[in-house]
Amino acid sequence: MPTVTFLPGFRKVVAEPGSTILEAAQKAGLHMNVVCGAQGKCGKCSVYVKSGTFDFDREKYGTFFSAEDLDSGACLACQAYVTDDISVFIPENSIIQEQKILIEALGLETVFNPAVWKYYLELAPPTLDDPSPDLSRLLFGIEKYGGPKEGMIYVPLEVIRRIPKVMRDSGWKITATVTLVPGGYRLIDVEKGNTLDRIYGVAVDLGTTTVVVYLRSLVNGEVLGVASNYNHQISCGEDILSRVNYARKGGLQKLQKLAVDSINTAITSAANVAGIDREDIYEVVVAGNTIMTHILMEIDPAYMIEEPYVPVVRRYLTSAARRVGLEVQEDAGIFIFPAVSDYIGGDIVADILASGMAESEDVSLLIDIGTNFEVVLGNRDWMFSCAGAAGPALEGGEVRFGMRANPGAIEQISLDLVSLTPAYRTINHTRPKGICGSGLIDLLAELLRACIIDRTGRINTQIAHERIRYGTRFPEFVIAWKDDTDIGKDIVITENDIKNLIMSKASVLAACSTLMNQAGISRDEISHIYFSGAFGNYINKENAIIIGLIPEVPGERISTIGNGAIEGANIALLNRKKRKELDEIAKRIAYIELNAEPSFMDEYTKSTFLPHTDLSLFPMVEEMLNECRIRRG
Amino acid sequence: MTLQTQNIWNGRIGTVTIGADRAHGGTRTLQYTLGGEQDLAAVGPGATQQRPLIAAEICDDPGIWSPIVNTFMGDTVNDTAGWAGTMESEYHPDIVRLHLTSTRKRNFKDFSGIPETVSGVLKSTGLPLIIEGSNDPSIDSEVYQKCGEASSGERVLLGTAEAGRYRSIAAAAMAYNHCIIAQSPIDINLAKQLNILLKEIGVPYDRILIDPYTGALGYGFEYSYSVMERIRYAALKGDQDLAMTMISAAPDSLNIREVREARDDETDRTAATWEFYTAFSAVIAGASIVCVRHPLAIPLLKSAIDSIWPHSAGREA
Repeated sequence: MPTVTFLPGFRKVVAEPGSTILEAAQKAGLHMNVVCGAQGKCGKCSVYVKSGTFDFDREKYGTFFSAEDLDSGACLACQAYVTDDISVFIPENSIIQEQKILIEALGLETVFNPAVWKYYLELAPPTLDDPSPDLSRLLFGIEKYGGPKEGMIYVPLEVIRRIPKVMRDSGWKITATVTLVPGGYRLIDVEKGNTLDRIYGVAVDLGTTTVVVYLRSLVNGEVLGVASNYNHQISCGEDILSRVNYARKGGLQKLQKLAVDSINTAITSAANVAGIDREDIYEVVVAGNTIMTHILMEIDPAYMIEEPYVPVVRRYLTSAARRVGLEVQEDAGIFIFPAVSDYIGGDIVADILASGMAESEDVSLLIDIGTNFEVVLGNRDWMFSCAGAAGPALEGGEVRFGMRANPGAIEQISLDLVSLTPAYRTINHTRPKGICGSGLIDLLAELLRACIIDRTGRINTQIAHERIRYGTRFPEFVIAWKDDTDIGKDIVITENDIKNLIMSKASVLAACSTLMNQAGISRDEISHIYFSGAFGNYINKENAIIIGLIPEVPGERISTIGNGAIEGANIALLNRKKRKELDEIAKRIAYIELNAEPSFMDEYTKSTFLPHTDLSLFPMVEEMLNECRIRRG
Repeated sequence: MTLQTQNIWNGRIGTVTIGADRAHGGTRTLQYTLGGEQDLAAVGPGATQQRPLIAAEICDDPGIWSPIVNTFMGDTVNDTAGWAGTMESEYHPDIVRLHLTSTRKRNFKDFSGIPETVSGVLKSTGLPLIIEGSNDPSIDSEVYQKCGEASSGERVLLGTAEAGRYRSIAAAAMAYNHCIIAQSPIDINLAKQLNILLKEIGVPYDRILIDPYTGALGYGFEYSYSVMERIRYAALKGDQDLAMTMISAAPDSLNIREVREARDDETDRTAATWEFYTAFSAVIAGASIVCVRHPLAIPLLKSAIDSIWPHSAGREA
């Protein structure tokens, strides 16, 4: 069997003959960028084979490389097959980097009322006069200490088996852990002595790309540790559809395991930060999109991506964390947020909970942007939602120098309107490697402001300026000259990149307009726009309006709720009463299928203009554009 | 004959003047002012309705032209100016539309030939002119500059601006006081966007005609019809960005299977009839100028238009 050596780390792995370099890399624990789900379409998994022979269709997949690169062994890891011992160099860009994930402490306010708690019991030992069984003694003890009635508590066999020894070894001083379950209570643990202070819970945001975990004390709600990492499923495809396709090809168990691994890894690091034992974690609350939660529970997600698009479950789910594979206390429970539809998942329900829009009389618009976007419009009486594909452009995909929010990404940019010289800021203040979503939104707004692009996003090549030039296939604008970059190339944005960005932003705006039309709400009636997700936290709100990503409302009405999914999960972890509301919220939301909505295409085309075909909907932008035109003459 | 309806609209189509007679600084024997409608075509008070115009299409390189037309016209097609004159004297269209098909050839360099061709046509016909230039961004600028200059003062209609390439043609139109055809791919919003783009670089709305792109009858025409209708509704409801006169041409009419496979002795009749029905349907949808290539389509159109518009409004003799 051939051995594959990965450089620069010299990590070795034995590969099945005929497997791809990508599969070998996954086996070696190297997670590579696979934006397209290993279809050879995105070119993000470039590697260089330094020695040995391999199979790679240069004709078909060689377009990502120059002839020079190909001669020095360049290939796509997902399309190159291992035939013999080889050594492979993986450039830094092809490896998934640590990402800027939103984990700031949350300013959430909710009543502290968790679903799991402990009783410290000092029981009288049995005597001939009082020979009641151990279990009854324990349950009556709980009742006596103010807990639920003995008959209401279910006790699993595993716990019963532990009872006699724990009671006697501890001199009848024990701590019992009780949790709320549908229809009653469940005794999930008995421990020796007083462990009242050792009870923790975990809130999880299981995202398609990232996993965020909050570890909290369930004695007082305090945050003890926060951790995040990539969803390990990324190596099976970057977007959600490629995950489902992977599951359909028999990969569900592997995906499930990767999801659990991702959560376990994050829980472990949070527990290490907090200095606590994972065995004292008694509950895990998970908010995730419908497909992620299906996969986590190992429920087949296949039917969600084909007509008529039905999920297996919509209501909230509870189970034992252990049955899913989570490394926490063995009888700890897991609570999964309910969903609205296949596309509006528990993460959005969590966003709604976090925004408070379901309790307000004011009409709010909630927008969660990623590769897919979700939009919810409504108030405490009614809600409409829809979801769609924004395409990867806003996250840096399908843009020549686009990248995720990794170190070296330009995250903010402005142009000097006279000299057209860009001023930018990169993540970690290193030399730029590319541009991430927030940078791209800034750039688009600035190019429009400087009249370098027209309202369809086409570059005015009649402007004589060294930064405006014809690239190999499209006109382009130079953001950074190669000497100033970290990649030895000029960083540019091409007309084609701009086109992709406009298509992405148009789908988001068209979705907002479609919901507003459905509800008969004008932009003036929107009291709040909430941006959820990491993306929303970093973007410049004014620029988001200038390019027409969102409807124009006064700036003070726009706020970000940060990672709403984790915030909602935290609320549900700390306040069990809120869990009941979740199902009600989920049921109240009407889902609008954009594909079946005839006006959507019309709205979309109207939105493929900066900011929109009808400028009267963007009065502030109209004023700005007039000023820009006057300035440019 | 027009159908009488209540006038429920509050918008009005803007006017556009094509051609310049001697009184207006040109050499045309007549000029047209189009637009001003306040209702749908062939509906409503007849007085506000403009009689639609027929444009006869010719070209300067028949190598890229319908072989049916070439055969029908014979040698005439090799003399562009003569072709224009023949069309006017024998078939009586309202406008001549000159396609500079020579510029469509790879590596076109003969920029000095353009003014020659254009002035030849201007001499041989007194009708207002539509000039169709190149469709290659790398030569557009020079081609349109030459077209505009050679027809300076004649207020021609320059074609065709699209969202991806409109700056050169707009520059020529503004420099030499001509009008522009703005073509978008069968979509009301894209039509509107292009008009806005032109406005934003300084082209006034009374110099723009909308070409919503016309597919041949039976080959997608219904989409074009529907878009023309929607554009007109929007304009009549007050959308200034769409309140322009529309022009329609469906050159594909001569390439469709029914025409290609017609019996030899039926070819001309089928071609002309197909062009006629397509163009006349476009008139009903709201087009003010319809363009045809087969000369025999012209008399068919004239008699059909006469039956609805007996007067000849729009013509400023």
